[in-house]
Amino acid sequence: MIAGLRQPAPAHTAFAEARFLKMLDRPLVVSGQLSWLGDDRLQRRVEHPRAETATIADGEVTQQRDGKPARHFSLKRAPQLQVLLDSFVALLGGDAARLEQAFEIQREGDAAGAWTLTLVPRDAHVAKTVARIRIDGVGDQSRCMRMQEADGDLAVDLLGPLAEKMPAEPTRAELQALCTGSP
Amino acid sequence: MHRGARATLLVTWLLALAGLGWIVSQRLHVSSDLRSFMPAPTTPDQRLLMEQVGEGPGSRLLLLSISGASDGQLAGLSQGLAAVLKKDARYSQVLNGSFDLASLDPRLLPYRYLLSPTLDTQPLDEAYLADQLQQRLDDLSSPAASLLKNLLPRDPTLETLKLAERWAPAKSPQLRDGVWFTPQHEALLLVQTVAAGFDPGAQQQAIDGIREAFHALPGSADARLELSGPGYFSVVIGAQTRHQADWIGRISTVGFIALLLLAYRSVSSLLLSALPIASAALAGIAALTLVFSEVHGITLAFGFTLLGVAQEYPIRVLSHRRAGEDALQSVRDLWPLLLTAIASACIAYLAFYASGVAGLQQLAVFTIVGLLVAGLSTRYLLPHLLPRRVRDVAAMGWLIRARGWLDRLPRPRWIPLLVALAIAAMLALAPGPFWQNNLAALTPVPTALLQHDARLRQALGAPDVRYLLLLQAPTEQGVLALSQSLQPQADALVERHAVDAIELPSRYLPAVAQQRARQQKLPDRAMLEHALAGALQGMPFRADLFQPFVDDVETARALPPLTPERYAQTPLGQRLAAMLVQRDGHWLGLATVSGVHDVAALQTLGADRGGAVHLLDLKAASESLVAAYRTRILQALLAAGLLLVVTISVALRSARRAWHVLAPMTLATFLVLAVERVAGIEISLFHLVALILAGGLGLHYALFFERDTGDPAEQRRTLHATLVCVLSALLVFGMLAWATIPVLRAIGLTVSLGVAFHFCLSILMAPHARQD
Repeated sequence: MIAGLRQPAPAHTAFAEARFLKMLDRPLVVSGQLSWLGDDRLQRRVEHPRAETATIADGEVTQQRDGKPARHFSLKRAPQLQVLLDSFVALLGGDAARLEQAFEIQREGDAAGAWTLTLVPRDAHVAKTVARIRIDGVGDQSRCMRMQEADGDLAVDLLGPLAEKMPAEPTRAELQALCTGSP
Repeated sequence: MHRGARATLLVTWLLALAGLGWIVSQRLHVSSDLRSFMPAPTTPDQRLLMEQVGEGPGSRLLLLSISGASDGQLAGLSQGLAAVLKKDARYSQVLNGSFDLASLDPRLLPYRYLLSPTLDTQPLDEAYLADQLQQRLDDLSSPAASLLKNLLPRDPTLETLKLAERWAPAKSPQLRDGVWFTPQHEALLLVQTVAAGFDPGAQQQAIDGIREAFHALPGSADARLELSGPGYFSVVIGAQTRHQADWIGRISTVGFIALLLLAYRSVSSLLLSALPIASAALAGIAALTLVFSEVHGITLAFGFTLLGVAQEYPIRVLSHRRAGEDALQSVRDLWPLLLTAIASACIAYLAFYASGVAGLQQLAVFTIVGLLVAGLSTRYLLPHLLPRRVRDVAAMGWLIRARGWLDRLPRPRWIPLLVALAIAAMLALAPGPFWQNNLAALTPVPTALLQHDARLRQALGAPDVRYLLLLQAPTEQGVLALSQSLQPQADALVERHAVDAIELPSRYLPAVAQQRARQQKLPDRAMLEHALAGALQGMPFRADLFQPFVDDVETARALPPLTPERYAQTPLGQRLAAMLVQRDGHWLGLATVSGVHDVAALQTLGADRGGAVHLLDLKAASESLVAAYRTRILQALLAAGLLLVVTISVALRSARRAWHVLAPMTLATFLVLAVERVAGIEISLFHLVALILAGGLGLHYALFFERDTGDPAEQRRTLHATLVCVLSALLVFGMLAWATIPVLRAIGLTVSLGVAFHFCLSILMAPHARQD
């Protein structure tokens, strides 16, 4: 199944992300474009509400905002990004072995072609921050990625055409319905 | 003497040597710190150099690179090594590029508002907080969220990160997996030792500590750890020089033993003749330990070189033995002349003692005691032990022919004039500078190491070892204030690319006055809560989220300003402590500079501060110090020369005889100088010491050749003794002349040339034997 998800690099997909953080009363919503540039290089371009580009390359994250000097930090210090990279690159590259190496994988699916992958990080250091990821898809398209952090915070990314359906003030339930509902 | 009495004497002598050895082993402290060898500084720069050599932060830096594994493994090793070294008291700072909030003690966290420059330009008001909080919201939706989430409630304006950035090296290398890497895939670390940079002994311990820590790390077996930096170089060069000297020493010792066996055909004579010199060395060191609390390694090296003269005493005794005469009688005949040689050498070395330079005084004590012990034991102890029956060398056919040939050599009176003219001409024509003031040039660092060092230094932006910016003020706070006021000028220099970076002490700690000023600007709790509430309007942050922030600001308002003493408990405080030194009632700040492109521009920094700011050129200062040292040696030499003239004249009771002894010795000494200069060799302290040794040997040759006993057999014995002395000196020092390390070559070449010239001239200028 994973081999069927393979796409040639560079692969771009629209995304809309909602983050539910304990320290906030309401979720943070951003949207933009995710690009796999081949190998271990990933770019996350946010267009709304404020432009920002984050690039992962060579284990290093570079974060750029308009009119500000670029900020660099090590991928090691951002486990969420490590998880994003591992899962995203493995899926787009159709690399089941890599996925298997980074995560314990659980797969559910139905007759209509909808599926859910549940990924639990094998790396103890990463698992301290990221409890698990759920990726929902139909056929050869991933639709939704939910990252459950160990401290209870949750990030939900709607991918591709689904990104447009992100509500202005989403709730966890609404997004769950979007991810698992029929296209 | 009876067999029993001889055995008793031998055992007593050996026991005395063992006793001296025990005293030496108990009391000897060899210092490898160059400062204890150097003369008292006279200029302010020399003084600063002496105080700062090895203490300057730049000279205590070791640059480490780890290579030979995957980036991930190297990063792991870098982290592991840094973690171990940070806990080790031998290192005051360990940096590998990983951002480490722990470098700021948690108890000191509220101090961030006094340390960070934010408050200088920006009050913590509603507008600023609102802007900052908006940025934090953006951060939370960015990939950096996980980095900041835990920090946010306590530090919404990210002062901690601003400080971390401020304290990171000005020009950081590339980061991979969170640690520094060179473009050649080596993980990089910077380690500052507590030990002084030019104390090879202490540096060796620090380096061993690093290697041990590295090899104890799992997975370090395949990776390669390489070190660089001034401290490492001093250790490597010391080891290399020792290794080569030992290697050459072993070969020449074998040759020396073979030569003596060939000359005297007696193993027992050979072994016994080693006793006076061993006694001399042990007694000399023992005397040093009694007079001085610490002995410098270079003093010992110079001293052993000069003590080489003493090896002649037993050789003279062995060569002058006559058939059927016991050793005591031979020595009695020889003693007046030997005593003249020993006494005049000792009197001459008194001039070194009077020079007042600690290193030279030590040299004088060592040499005088050594020569006296060697001479007296050769006279009063050795003859009782020597085997009774010996071969008289005077009967050997080749020696008779050689002596005859020498006696028939023409000895024209114009020889001294010719040699003097040749010397003058050669000195006038010699290329290049006369003196070599750079001691380091004699023990050069291998090119490969220098290139490696330059590469790491470039990658790390590590401070220059040659230049040090000194800030002087009456108080510690004065230095910090001065440092702060220089910051704009320093930034301008960096902007103009005169220098890559200047690290001022105030970078780590602002002066108390500035901390107070920042403290004044902190709002009280009510004001801050009001501003925060306003800023939070319309933001999704939970209402009580920033309570820790409000508490910290409240704490910071009441903190006593951070002083270097209070700061010293933390790693950063240690870094600062290395930059602040108290000297004679005033304080010095040591600011490091990296990548100097325009020295003249750098010298203008702080030129308007009335001498409080000063760029110290360690190389220039150390060279001027060496030049001053040489002046002292030359003065001592001049005095020693005069003393020698007087002593020899008095001892020989004839100005004409004194001329025959002193003229060849003087001419030969200058001839060595002239020949070396014409060959393009610049004369260093080591050449001078070697010249003194050669002079001491030459004195013997001249004294013995000048002696006219009227007995051709005795003349032959003199020639035999002198030939053995010359050949053994040529063997030992001629080997050294082939060494690849310039300092060994300098000593070897100078003594070899000296021995040859002294020998030739003392023969050619000796009066003809009476029968002619």
